Amino acid sequence: MTGAPLPEPAPSPTATDAGVPSTQRAARPRWRETLGLLARNPTAAAAGLVLLAIVLIAVFDETLAPSGPNEISVEDRLQAPSLAHPFGTDDLGRDILSRVVLGAGVSLRVGFLAVAFALVVGSLIGLLAGFYGRWVDDVLMRFMDVLFAFPAVLLAIAVLAVRGPGAGNTALAIGVVYVPVFARVTRASVLGVREEVYVRASRSVGASDFRLLTRHVLPNAAPPIIVQTSISLAFAVLAEAALSFLGLGTQPPNPSWGLMLAEGRGFIDIAWWLAFFPGIAIFLTVLCFNLLGDGLRDVLDPRQRTLMAGGGR
Amino acid sequence: MTEDVLVSARGLEVHFPIRSGGALRRTSGVLRAVDGVDLDILRGETLGLVGESGCGKSTLGNALLRLVPPTGGTVTFDGTDVTSLDRRGLKEMRRRAGMVFQDPFASLDPRRTVAQTVSEPLEVHGLRSGGRERAARVAELLELVGLDPAVAGRYPHEFSGGQRQRVGIARALAGEPDFLVCDEAIASLDVSVQAQVLNLLRRLQRQLGLTLLFISHDLSAVRHIADRIAVMYLGRVVEVGPADAVGSDPQMPYTQALLSAVPVPHPELERSRKRIVLRGDVPSPAAVPSGCRFRTRCPYAFEPCPDVDPALQPVGAPGQLAACHLHGVVGRPVDSGEPVAARD
Repeated sequence: MTGAPLPEPAPSPTATDAGVPSTQRAARPRWRETLGLLARNPTAAAAGLVLLAIVLIAVFDETLAPSGPNEISVEDRLQAPSLAHPFGTDDLGRDILSRVVLGAGVSLRVGFLAVAFALVVGSLIGLLAGFYGRWVDDVLMRFMDVLFAFPAVLLAIAVLAVRGPGAGNTALAIGVVYVPVFARVTRASVLGVREEVYVRASRSVGASDFRLLTRHVLPNAAPPIIVQTSISLAFAVLAEAALSFLGLGTQPPNPSWGLMLAEGRGFIDIAWWLAFFPGIAIFLTVLCFNLLGDGLRDVLDPRQRTLMAGGGR
Repeated sequence: MTEDVLVSARGLEVHFPIRSGGALRRTSGVLRAVDGVDLDILRGETLGLVGESGCGKSTLGNALLRLVPPTGGTVTFDGTDVTSLDRRGLKEMRRRAGMVFQDPFASLDPRRTVAQTVSEPLEVHGLRSGGRERAARVAELLELVGLDPAVAGRYPHEFSGGQRQRVGIARALAGEPDFLVCDEAIASLDVSVQAQVLNLLRRLQRQLGLTLLFISHDLSAVRHIADRIAVMYLGRVVEVGPADAVGSDPQMPYTQALLSAVPVPHPELERSRKRIVLRGDVPSPAAVPSGCRFRTRCPYAFEPCPDVDPALQPVGAPGQLAACHLHGVVGRPVDSGEPVAARD
């Protein structure tokens, strides 16, 4: 709840508390308000625009890439950046720009899939644990603690060792690692919301647990989860790169930023562009997801919202 | 009593375990929020429930609707045992019994519009199928509580406290309940708005034939609205009776002290008002005194008080009951085996 008192209409002898609040316009949907506030935060807005561009590139990778990512051209190998090949070529004469563009599709797809898995499974676990408490909480969260106890990369490697490499399995491996993160964030948020009077009020009119969870608890517990999603996307892209770098994620000859980084490592002293451009792509994507996450955190905090909207709301 | 009882509590107990931290969660004590309440609420009446903060008024109100699970005793609502209702029965009971909460800033979901909030009971109970009929019903309800139906699309943060409380009342009325628990419903409102909401509740009670449990620590408000008054002290109803009788001729020393604390809106009378100032503080509900729970602060405490737990007995006006040994020692002797709070 907002701590600040609401503006009361000017008191007059005949003032009544009934009727329409005259000074305020009809409410806009929350998400539009959120977007509006986000746009006023230049850093977050810029990060959002860059991410939008990256996503668009990832979606239209086939059309945007100047040449096929696996087109080998022996006479063009290890070319420095030029007009013909703006990002240069690798040791097999493949166009780096095309591979970075197609790598965006691979990296983001794995990242989104991984976070989607972690979001759905982790939030559900956190929601149930936080709402029901007692033994449900104990059982679910101890299980999450076990997952947490493994180092993230080790856990992902274990999943991939069992299921074999590949984009889908990479996403699953990264997703499993982030399930406990979402479970904890969701549980913490739900613990606060479930004690709210409006949840009890809804129960008092006969609402079922399912209704309480979906209509009241989850929407009000959502802001930290949204922030976590944005920040986890950054980590997921990074994790995909790391796993591919280790040879466990995307398999050659498919382009992935992490894999390109690994392949370029051997040529770093004679052809810096092999590792440089995929590295920049990873850096930019991760940075933007983090900046957007920070911006969302500011905007979704009710107290911040009050300050930024100019008070009184 | 021959009158028509709608809600009845017998020996109702709500005890919360006090848990010490740690993974093993040992129970280190019991908080007796409600501790053996006997209370009848008659159909169509307004019963005022008063007492200091922390005496268990709100817990009692919540326990009557099973929003807090009772740990002992029974609650009957219109003849059915509330404590043993199945899921379906409980849902229907909650349609027939509504609740208005204390803090109108906390009791409305900030992410839902007024229309969504007010129509929730309609959706939950499948009343008025179809969006248009529900919208019409919401408009009707908003008008009933004195709000412009045009505000249906707005969010709670756009309203003042009094307006929000009206929305909360509209929600409580949506299922066409017989029984309404108003849990400190006016306590967090401005004084001028308090009167408006109080009058609204009284009007609705008459217009809709509601049975009202009006929980408040504000004795003046309760005397204004209630037909009968019940006084609670440390988890127990210690006096109950017609509002006039309890208000003007209280039979229990605690009620006398409570009433003497109410300011009189007349300078001369106020100056001559005699206050009974109780010594000490309310004992903790985790360590309730043996026998009469008021004895540690009662100016008239005598021999039987620590040994016999007083029961409500008819005293004073017709229909007036008080739990006090001054009117004759009636009650259950304290058996020596029971843990008794350390005192003296």
